[in-house]
Amino acid sequence: MTGLDEFLEELVADADAVCLFSPGKSHYETLAGDDVVVIATDNDVEADAFVKLPLEFQDLRDRIRFGVEGAVEHGYVDADADLVCLAKVFGEDADTVARVRADEFEKSGVYDLFANSRAEPSVIRDVLEVAVELGKKGQKGKPVGALFVVGDAGKVMNKSRPLSYNPFEKSHVHVGDPIVNVMLKEFSRLDGAFVISDSGKIVSAYRYLEPSAEGVDIPKGLGARHMAAGAVTRDTNAIAIVLSESDGLVRAFKAGELILELDPEAY
Amino acid sequence: MQIEWPEVIRSIFSERGAFAASIAILFLGVLGSYLVWRWTHRLLRSAGVSDAVEGTPFERTARSFGTSTVGIVSTIAAVFVYVLAIVVAVNLAQLGNPDLFWARLVGFLPSLFVAAFALIIGLIVGDKAKLHVSERLRSIKLPEASIIPELVKYSIFYVAILIALGQLGVETMALVVLLAVYAFAIVVVALVAFWDLLRSGAAGIYLLLQEPYSIGDRVRIDDNEGIVQEVDMFTTRIESDGEEYVVPNQKVFSSGIVRIRE
Repeated sequence: MTGLDEFLEELVADADAVCLFSPGKSHYETLAGDDVVVIATDNDVEADAFVKLPLEFQDLRDRIRFGVEGAVEHGYVDADADLVCLAKVFGEDADTVARVRADEFEKSGVYDLFANSRAEPSVIRDVLEVAVELGKKGQKGKPVGALFVVGDAGKVMNKSRPLSYNPFEKSHVHVGDPIVNVMLKEFSRLDGAFVISDSGKIVSAYRYLEPSAEGVDIPKGLGARHMAAGAVTRDTNAIAIVLSESDGLVRAFKAGELILELDPEAY
Repeated sequence: MQIEWPEVIRSIFSERGAFAASIAILFLGVLGSYLVWRWTHRLLRSAGVSDAVEGTPFERTARSFGTSTVGIVSTIAAVFVYVLAIVVAVNLAQLGNPDLFWARLVGFLPSLFVAAFALIIGLIVGDKAKLHVSERLRSIKLPEASIIPELVKYSIFYVAILIALGQLGVETMALVVLLAVYAFAIVVVALVAFWDLLRSGAAGIYLLLQEPYSIGDRVRIDDNEGIVQEVDMFTTRIESDGEEYVVPNQKVFSSGIVRIRE
């Protein structure tokens, strides 16, 4: 297998840094000493250079993109560094080696979405999980759509009006509470957006968003819900997470741009 | 009573019979202590005690002696039963001096064991509480915060030692007074230190229940005017033009709030 060895050697030659995705402890220790960046949901190995994954991206490309953007943002690696990524795709151990340049893909802002938004990263993760869950199961088997506006709730409330009585009035429910999934699932039957505050409190449901849609650039073919989401994130400092009713994908918007696209079926 | 009943047995059996009976009691004691040992072992294990104490220093010390917490507790229970059997047997055979000494020993045994149990439980609970508290404080990266778990641990040790000493009949009045002073000091310090937090919290409960204003309303508190972004137990966040005021809820109560309606 000399050919294979050579190929692997060539693949990892002259790399500036190594990105370890969710490594085991022993795995990390054998590689420690080089320029190692650990990218995982929890810093189990107590690495100095650590990027927190908000969720286990199933798609390797999303995972690597998030990790590399995070590592560049933190200054662990240079913006034009050559990186070798070790990740696990199938099993419990690292089984995949990938080589990327940090500037290979244009900055998608997926790391920025979680780390530098007004809302706390855990809140954004919880909302994403709710959206994914909703996308997987739907409402009584039928696909549903939903629009969550997260963060900057005061401003969002001033740029929207109620469509009906607010079921969350005087309630203190936060995303991530166990009952919330069921409640949101029920309320997603009705139209309008959910407004969620920086700390994760569900402020309102049934909100009709009234931002100005000027200059919002979202892919053609997406409906009114996505347009509203894109526009509201341009007008305020909020981010929006949309579950599409027609194609079942979960999309995240920030500053009027589509940042992230997830397929709920893959999780 | 305790001096009387061997006499009764001795009058029922002959002198020899009593000796044989005491030997039998010794054997029964061995059997009984073995059974007690096994039952406590099994009971503690099925109650999940061995998992609960895993990793505490007491358990680790016990491990280094080749036993475990469960082992120690069940051995103490077994020894208790066995010593009881020996005392009864000796008393019956009148080998020793059947006077007050044995009676007092028998009377004293339970407190001794309660004291031992109190110590063991105190050590384990103290360590567990320390672990729990330090786990809670882990997100606070402050070196001084590490003293709090130690304080909790030694407070629990202190109470356990107090109980143990009290069981043994040692005069603990001074120690109890010390404990009371200590507890009083903690309460006073907490009251003084958290006074503003407590007031804000009380106001926050009212604000959360009644919601006189909610997220999205335009309000003015003192001179800070803006849109309410967040209301929690202790603070209200008001934002205007890129400035965010974090107002303690107590201030909402003391100076009132102006809702601005266009």
